[in-house]
Amino acid sequence: MTRGMKLSRNYIQTFIFILLYLFAVYFWTQPLQARKLPYGEYDAMSHFEVGDYMAYNDKSFMKLPPYIDLRYGTDNKFKQHTLWYPPPFHASLGIMEVIGGDRLISIFLLNTIMATFIIISVYFVVNSLFGFLPAILSALLLVFSPRDFMPFLWGQWPERFAYAFIPIILYCFYKYFVGYSKENSKPLYLHLASLFLGINMLIHPLVFFHSVIGLAVLYISLAIKQKKIVFNWKHVIVSAVIFLALFLLFPYQTFNIFPQFTRGNGGENSNFNLARLFQWSLNPQDYIGSVPAVYFSFREMHGLWTLPFLLLGILFLALRREERDIFMLAWLVSLYLVLHRDIAGKASFLHRSLSASAHIFAPLAAIGAVYLASFVKLPSNFNKYLKYGIAAVFVVLAFSMNMAYASKILNKDTYNDFFATLNNEEYQAAQWALGNVPISANITVLGIPHQEPYQSATSKKIRWFAAVSQHVTRFYHLREDKEQLLKSKEWYIMLDYTMLGPLNDRQTFDEMQQFEKTKLVSHALVYDNKGIRVYKP
Amino acid sequence: MNLKLKDIHVFALVAALPILIFSYILFGMTGIRVALGIVFVSLPFYILLNKLELEEGEKFVFSALLGLTIFPSLVYILGFLISFRLAIAAAFIVFVGIAIAVIKYNNSKKVT
Repeated sequence: MTRGMKLSRNYIQTFIFILLYLFAVYFWTQPLQARKLPYGEYDAMSHFEVGDYMAYNDKSFMKLPPYIDLRYGTDNKFKQHTLWYPPPFHASLGIMEVIGGDRLISIFLLNTIMATFIIISVYFVVNSLFGFLPAILSALLLVFSPRDFMPFLWGQWPERFAYAFIPIILYCFYKYFVGYSKENSKPLYLHLASLFLGINMLIHPLVFFHSVIGLAVLYISLAIKQKKIVFNWKHVIVSAVIFLALFLLFPYQTFNIFPQFTRGNGGENSNFNLARLFQWSLNPQDYIGSVPAVYFSFREMHGLWTLPFLLLGILFLALRREERDIFMLAWLVSLYLVLHRDIAGKASFLHRSLSASAHIFAPLAAIGAVYLASFVKLPSNFNKYLKYGIAAVFVVLAFSMNMAYASKILNKDTYNDFFATLNNEEYQAAQWALGNVPISANITVLGIPHQEPYQSATSKKIRWFAAVSQHVTRFYHLREDKEQLLKSKEWYIMLDYTMLGPLNDRQTFDEMQQFEKTKLVSHALVYDNKGIRVYKP
Repeated sequence: MNLKLKDIHVFALVAALPILIFSYILFGMTGIRVALGIVFVSLPFYILLNKLELEEGEKFVFSALLGLTIFPSLVYILGFLISFRLAIAAAFIVFVGIAIAVIKYNNSKKVT
């Protein structure tokens, strides 16, 4: 093959990947495309709040503003009432809000790009080590990986981005190790591994520990394979300095790792059970109420059809055992170790680590599929045809099974939730409050259902209102100090009539009308738009 | 991915077109600005990595990761001293300056 042909083939392959990646962004942003309103669970609100605060107020901040502090004030055990995550992730959201010029789309779009960066990382690493076909098939599976997009939807934003660093860190270290010799080595790759490891810690500590385990397993595996110990003081010291500089960059946040690490181990999962060694996933019963049972199912999350390919991929790599094969197996083993840390008494957030499964399962299944043809001896070009035939079946199954299932969870109606998500009128009122309610004032709300069974959902709506308005927002009827609150200069009163019509709640409507007439006579009506009224004390 | 330098830049420009069109169709001008914003924060790191012995794919992926993490770290720190918006511009100047300084230093080392 001539150089020109190779170049154009590389371009075409990269172009195909770009198209697939754009499709991934399209697929993952469907809820945003449909409504252009904020969505997600409490974690999503907190990440939006931090990034948005920097951009909107045009400043960085150390001490949490009241509407964030109310919930997250004690999450940083090392330095309470400050950011509980190192700031790069959220500052990045803030920067894009400034550049994008829109509060919601900029942040939600950039977050999607960062959450889907794992697709780029896996494609890049697998393409570098195994070529285009396994890489693009891996990327395709990851687009439809519910264990990736479910936590993304819920709001575990920094964690999703942090996972994109694991393959990159391992890849850089691998390049350093395999290229190392006394005469010629590329310390740049070790320095890059250290740099990305430090950044990984700044994005999410849990994933950082995963990377550390991955590096240890990879080092030992390659050392056994190559029968050599790679160690160079000069390279290690420079890399350690790079890591230390990043570690000390935001000490209030990075030092929070220590109290987090030494705290309780997460409870019920900590009992040693030998059977756990032979299980990949966790027991859904331990997570009832917080994580849906399907999250723990291989069939639902990866598609049962990928299992034979996955096992074949592992078998093929284990039999061949080239350096690149060792790389993949070490990555798999490291995830196994991380997922079984409960045996060592560290059971916190185990289910979060499970979300990294597809990152290694997808490439292993793709490798199994692509190399399946090489298991049989066929004449002439038939092996090649068979390889592409299997790849075609792989693509068809990915679209017909995985995409079909993924579309049930992630679609334009996801988070189209009457109770939990702000409607357009509420969003506009929150925007108005942001610009017109003094920064020291709080907002209390009537009209949004505060009683069970609605409260668990409508509490999210109230929190999204706080996030968009940047003001502490509370249910009026859940306050014990109602009378003082009405006399206070610190509390604005919001009456939200927008939900009462669809709920056909005439009684609450009448009560609110009466409330306005009797209780708010000394207040001034300052906002009256599309069924929402705000009174100033 | 061993692509020639000039070829890869032409390819990057060609590939940018569907990205920008896609961004515009889905999210209007904000989509385009976010796409260009990612290029903006990554560019100083690409300039730096471009002069190192790395493969072309590595340069693109690494510079994007650095742009989305190291760039905002400096913006956050500068954001205590100056406005956040100004800090974005200042960080860009600082990182481009560092990239140019490193390249010049490397070139002078090669000459001597």
